[in-house]
Amino acid sequence: MTDSTESPDLSRRGGLTRLKEGTYGGLFAACAAITLLTTAAIFVTLLSDAVVFFRSISVAEFLTGTNWSPNPAGGGQAFGIIPLLIGTITVTITAAFISIPIGTLTAIYLSEYATPNARSILKPLLEILAGIPTVVYGYFALVYVTPALKATLFPEMSTFNALSASIMVGIMTIPMVSSISEDAMSAVPDELRQAGYGLGATKFEVSTGIVVPASISGIASSYILAVSRAIGETMIVVVAMGAQARMPAVREALFGIPFVNPADVLLESGMTITVAMVQITGGDLTGGTLPYNSMFALGLALFAVTLVMNVISDIIAQRYREEY
Amino acid sequence: MATDNANANGFGEVSRVRGIVFEYLSLGASVFGLVALGVLLVYVAIDAFDLANASPEWLLTYFLTLVVPFLAFCLYSASDPTVTRRALGALGGGLVAVAALFTAIEALVVPIPRLNWQLAYLFVVAAPVTAYLAYVGSGGRVGAVGFGLLGRLVGGAAVGLAVGTLFLVFDPLLWFLAYTLGVLPAVGLYAFGRRRSTPRARTAAAPVGLGGLVAAVFLREVIPTYPSDLIIYLWTVAVPVAVAGALLVADRRGRVAAAAVGGVPLAAATAGGFLAPGAGLPSPTVLLVLVSIGVPTAVYVSRVVDAGEGLAGLGLPLLLAAGAVLGALIVGALGFPAPDPWLDGSFLTAAPSRTPSDAGLYPAIVGSVIIIALVAVLSFALGVGTSVFLEEYTPGTGPLGTLTRILQVNIANLAAVPSVVYGLLGLGLFANLLGLGIGTAVTAALTLSLLILPITIISAQEAIRSVPDDLRRGSDAMGATRWQTTKNVVLPEAMPGILTGTILALGRAIGETAPLIMIGAATTVFRAPDSLFSRFSAMPMQIYTWAGFPQADFRYGVVAAGVITLLLILVGMNGTAILLRNRAERGS
Repeated sequence: MTDSTESPDLSRRGGLTRLKEGTYGGLFAACAAITLLTTAAIFVTLLSDAVVFFRSISVAEFLTGTNWSPNPAGGGQAFGIIPLLIGTITVTITAAFISIPIGTLTAIYLSEYATPNARSILKPLLEILAGIPTVVYGYFALVYVTPALKATLFPEMSTFNALSASIMVGIMTIPMVSSISEDAMSAVPDELRQAGYGLGATKFEVSTGIVVPASISGIASSYILAVSRAIGETMIVVVAMGAQARMPAVREALFGIPFVNPADVLLESGMTITVAMVQITGGDLTGGTLPYNSMFALGLALFAVTLVMNVISDIIAQRYREEY
Repeated sequence: MATDNANANGFGEVSRVRGIVFEYLSLGASVFGLVALGVLLVYVAIDAFDLANASPEWLLTYFLTLVVPFLAFCLYSASDPTVTRRALGALGGGLVAVAALFTAIEALVVPIPRLNWQLAYLFVVAAPVTAYLAYVGSGGRVGAVGFGLLGRLVGGAAVGLAVGTLFLVFDPLLWFLAYTLGVLPAVGLYAFGRRRSTPRARTAAAPVGLGGLVAAVFLREVIPTYPSDLIIYLWTVAVPVAVAGALLVADRRGRVAAAAVGGVPLAAATAGGFLAPGAGLPSPTVLLVLVSIGVPTAVYVSRVVDAGEGLAGLGLPLLLAAGAVLGALIVGALGFPAPDPWLDGSFLTAAPSRTPSDAGLYPAIVGSVIIIALVAVLSFALGVGTSVFLEEYTPGTGPLGTLTRILQVNIANLAAVPSVVYGLLGLGLFANLLGLGIGTAVTAALTLSLLILPITIISAQEAIRSVPDDLRRGSDAMGATRWQTTKNVVLPEAMPGILTGTILALGRAIGETAPLIMIGAATTVFRAPDSLFSRFSAMPMQIYTWAGFPQADFRYGVVAAGVITLLLILVGMNGTAILLRNRAERGS
């Protein structure tokens, strides 16, 4: 297609055809321009309201405040992002503890051990995990996972808690890790494996000692993508984690070393950045109020973090990719 | 390693334990997520259909009248003794194994809530065996015919209901005028031009159609009286669909068959439409559903009869219907205690309510259908346009090539933006700045279209890229312009792939909740929306609202029914997409 413009116009068709060609080309270009416009619109929408917000609340106050209460009953609004960050980081790390080991092992199994038949069945089935609506996962966490955990492992768990939400986020992100990692592992040329076998390595040694290191850039970028997805996840945490922006209690250990008991964070309700945004929509949505604008400031923070993570993952995948 | 513990004959020995453990560990990891999801789905199904209260006699009756005949049908279609032996072995052995294992766990470890061994057998053994046999059976000619017919019945009903739903928001009178003055003359002219190969008639079709549409908008306010809704649907939907079905058959089977294929469903639908008010049903919907079931079914039956193979498969719907009736009769006669499912007809047709037993999903379903229809049109048009531009119109090098690369990176990044941020975009831009209204269907549709646009574009690009370059070169060599090549060669070849990708993306859109919350969609509406600018709710929104209710009947009943409804719709959409892809792969 690239050079068909240079070809001679043998038919010598005149104006109408050329006009038609140009119109269609212009239409398609306009469609493509919409994707660029979307990015621009996201930036402008988030920035314009966030700027208004930061005129009342300074950036430093927003980033270091330890209290989040946008719509308090008695007055005294506070917009500190720290408790929300704690919630988001808790969910993300706990979810990563599930999705990363399971996803990696899945990728190794699919790429190294599974028969072609098993792979053709397992791969589409795993994609189902990412296709279930997130509100359904949230419902599962609230109605089935929390009571099950409460009855067996953690009797003191509260109805809304970070743990069961995180478990569901982790399960949801397994296919992100497994499919991208598996693509990277499948791209490792067979010669490397054969060389390993030739040196007397076992299948286990080839898988963990040759294939995984050779595809480490793809694996790492899949981890980052999964974490970025977990950060932006909304409905699971909204339904199952509750909405209490709290700072965890700091305890004193034996030698006066302060620490945070993970159970205080995981088994209690909490609030992530996304939950805070959803909370505010319960109030006024026509704009102009401080809580409304704070929503866009939070959105900007979220957008920036996920964008940076995607760019990093892209760079890792591009720069550290082994060329075979 | 191997050389360290070399033994007398010079060959090394290595421990296999570690490798075997690792292999099974990774196998376990691969199925962990699926097993977890499967268990949760089983519980949701049990709650939605109230199976925990189903008596064993009830389960056994329906197992014998519904499931066993279906399995027999699949086995007959597969006609493979090995499969038969394996299936019977799994069903019988599974029965003993599940019963023993389940009783042992209950007695020794921990009682399992809301589950008994009969249900466990049903979900752990019977359901997978049925799915496997359906898969194997569909390979045989009889099974393929049976499932094809079943698919047309169910799909036709779904399409008919969806079209009927759309007419709730779009003005049927305007559509009547637009169809009569614009669409019909334009299609007639185009068809005439094709048949007589007069290009002038074909070129005239577009202006005539446009003129008709403009006239329709203008006349809508002027004309005072209109025919009844039923006549409008009959004239604008039922007749054209029947004619299209008849034309499909006419080429191969002659006029009598064509008249039967078009006429019989049309007559049945018309009769159904006129009789429906007597049964308390809305007559236009009955008409639409009967037409959209009847015509494809008639075309399919005529095709199967023509081919003369697998005729027995046409009995599958009858077999299942007879089984259901027989089961109901036996249960009624012997008085077996039956479950009281949350997911039933009244759940799908009632409005939400504070009392769990009255609560329904109808307004939310209508809202979802309307949004998805708009999103489908928008994202398909934008997605195809963008991917054609990127794949066919821009070179790989030069300044335009740089632009292409920027667009690609941008699209990849848009795909990873959290959905809640799209919700903010919809709120700030569409709802407040452009004034489309907070929580209206238009705002939601625009927001969700932008949300799934990157996915649509990426899959459409893949479909277009997979069109072999030889075809393009052939078209170029015949003197076609770029647009002609795209229209006549590339798009028809890539269309199944593009459609598959679009439907999968729509599946994503139908389950999205966070953007809807952000744009202020109503948590509950009690009436179905009647225009594009009225407040609406959607299925995931309603599920989210109900999940917040503290009553156990909501948590374990109504929400479960809503979740199952949503998941069934998703399965239907994704199944259609996969069928499309498989058919296209087989065709090429």
